[in-house]
Amino acid sequence: MSETHASAQLIGRYVGGDTGIPGDELWALEAHLENCPICRGRLAEVVGEQTPDVTSMLSGIWSELEPLAVSAPEPVRRRRWVATWASPTLVPWLGMTALVMGLALLVDWADTTAGRPSLVQLLAPVAPLLGVAVSWARGLDPAYELTSATPRAGLYLVLRRTIAVLVVVIPLLLLVGWAAETSVALSLLPCLAFTSATLALGGVIGVSRAAIVLASAWVVLVVGPVLAGSMIPLVLDPAGLPLWGAAFVLGVVTVVARSEAYTRLGSHR
Amino acid sequence: MDVLRSVKGNEDDEERLVRRVAKGDRLSFEELYRRTSPWLIVRLRRRCSDEQIVAEVMQETYLAVWRAAGSFAGAAAGGSAVGWMWTIASRRLVDAFRRRAHHAELPVAVLVETVAPAAEEEALAGAVGDAVGSALRELAPELRQVLQSMVLDGLSVRETAVLLGLPEGTVKTRARRARIAMREALS
Amino acid sequence: MKGDEQVIRAVNAAEVAPTTYAWEIRAEGLRVKAGRRMAVDGVDLSLGAGVHGLLGPNGAGKTTLIRALATVLRPAGGELELLGASVGGRTEQRRLRRQIGYLPQDFGFYKRFTVREFIEYMAWLKEVSKKDIPAAVQRAIERIGLADRADDRMKTLSGGMIRRAGIAQAIVNDPRILLLDEPAAGLDPAQRLRFRELLRELGSDTCVVVSTHLVEDVAMACTDVMLIDEGKPVFRGTPSELEAAGGAGDAGDSPIERGYTALLARHQPDRGSR
Repeated sequence: MSETHASAQLIGRYVGGDTGIPGDELWALEAHLENCPICRGRLAEVVGEQTPDVTSMLSGIWSELEPLAVSAPEPVRRRRWVATWASPTLVPWLGMTALVMGLALLVDWADTTAGRPSLVQLLAPVAPLLGVAVSWARGLDPAYELTSATPRAGLYLVLRRTIAVLVVVIPLLLLVGWAAETSVALSLLPCLAFTSATLALGGVIGVSRAAIVLASAWVVLVVGPVLAGSMIPLVLDPAGLPLWGAAFVLGVVTVVARSEAYTRLGSHR
Repeated sequence: MDVLRSVKGNEDDEERLVRRVAKGDRLSFEELYRRTSPWLIVRLRRRCSDEQIVAEVMQETYLAVWRAAGSFAGAAAGGSAVGWMWTIASRRLVDAFRRRAHHAELPVAVLVETVAPAAEEEALAGAVGDAVGSALRELAPELRQVLQSMVLDGLSVRETAVLLGLPEGTVKTRARRARIAMREALS
Repeated sequence: MKGDEQVIRAVNAAEVAPTTYAWEIRAEGLRVKAGRRMAVDGVDLSLGAGVHGLLGPNGAGKTTLIRALATVLRPAGGELELLGASVGGRTEQRRLRRQIGYLPQDFGFYKRFTVREFIEYMAWLKEVSKKDIPAAVQRAIERIGLADRADDRMKTLSGGMIRRAGIAQAIVNDPRILLLDEPAAGLDPAQRLRFRELLRELGSDTCVVVSTHLVEDVAMACTDVMLIDEGKPVFRGTPSELEAAGGAGDAGDSPIERGYTALLARHQPDRGSR
């Protein structure tokens, strides 16, 4: 199609409020005006020449409008993208996680007894749980009820938030592990297993409660006895990895099967 | 306010103006108003005969443009500034009609074009394809009005119902009939 | 014509298909549990466009009913249909929720977000399409009158403004069903007046359910009222019918309050005066 424009006569009829313009011409004209600044300019001229009442309306509107246009320009958009991944209340908990791991690191450095199990290595599997607890937390997330009522609520959102946690915590663990000169690579699968178990159990009793239960169980049943020296760290043995893998898969299957739980308020009060 | 000033700009001018408005540039805002308000007010007046409502909608639209210019600059990749402004204006018009919906004494009239047997009209050459053009021309005015609201103005069924003062069911029926009529005319 | 394609938007067949439902909200014998208690017991509803008030004493089950309508609580019994779709299946629920707006009684928010950021986040959660979010948010902010505070952090807002931001997030996706649980709490009289106007505006083409303690708001803004007590429906009718139910002997400072206490007393005669 060529670059044709509206005729002066048609524009004049349009501006004048002529109700007799054939339907297709009117349609074409309005569509064209939305795309052609030249014809809009010609329309402006016609308005100025032929319809003084419209011109005065425009001046009136402007004079009322001008004093109201005073606010500051819009701020930066960074937060919006981040909020679609990490839960808005996540940052303090990540800070807490970093603090805990930092302390564990200091303890490891301070205590140089040979053969002593590394606190960093022992705590690594439950390190993400502080952050995961916030991904679907009734008590910790002020907008919990609002969020669970939305279309995007559900497994997808919970996973997105969990991934945001892991993306920060796992590199943190690797860094701390390197600094402590222990291998935390072995702990990564247990990390994932604990994460999926927390989400799975969370579908039943609430994710924050599940995180507390599992983390406490780990500390009481494994970390404590190991530090007290009465138990060899079997659970962190490479031979135990398949078991962790199985636990991870079981957790994932449960989470997917019970995914509807994340779209509703927990039935417990 | 000098509306007589002729505009010889290229198509990107309005977009550039909006970007400057996003930074708080009031001169660009005034320029944007100068360029676009005649077009917008004429288009609105052809949909609402109540001048007070039109003035209200114009003011709300430009105020929204001032406040939300940053969002346009950020979001619309390849959209036209003027199209964005029409989206805002049309929704504000619908809201204004909603506000008055419960005032039983005020049925706000909307202009309906009658089909004119125009013989020697200088049509926009090739503007709407001939088959589509004659199909549109032949469409009953109330059907074309619904189609115009939904397609040209981009309103939803609900919004069209509010604007035209019709029940939603009627809007849907007319839209269906319009589609059928257009399809028949084009086949 | 260059660029015409951008202007013309095709009309989608599904959009103009005839409506299959008579009522936006339809319930029969609805029963919903809150904890172990049956908080809603045998409620029938047929609600279309308009503003519908929900009244009742504390613990009557209003919040539980609204939560069931918002699909955050699964009904324990009875039938519930929203926009013609039976509440239950997963994918149906997602599509349904896009057309629902909900403001809970305990409206929680993120203090460090600005009003605009918070409403944008909620719009994202409600799956408003990305390019429409900024315009929809601006429109919602302007409709509830927070335009000059839109870029302030929420922790700097007064209680009434926060409530208004909550209403804004509920309407940002232009829902067909709007559920408001105590929306006017914390608003001063001038704001309540504006809010009532907004309610009437919304009621012209949306099904709005407002649960409130403020009986006067009900009288002014609602097209019909439902009174429930202990999970059971006590009264369905217009505000004037509610007023007519009361007499000089009933407690209350206004006709509608008297009607309210009269009906409650009749429902639970052994409860004594409340």
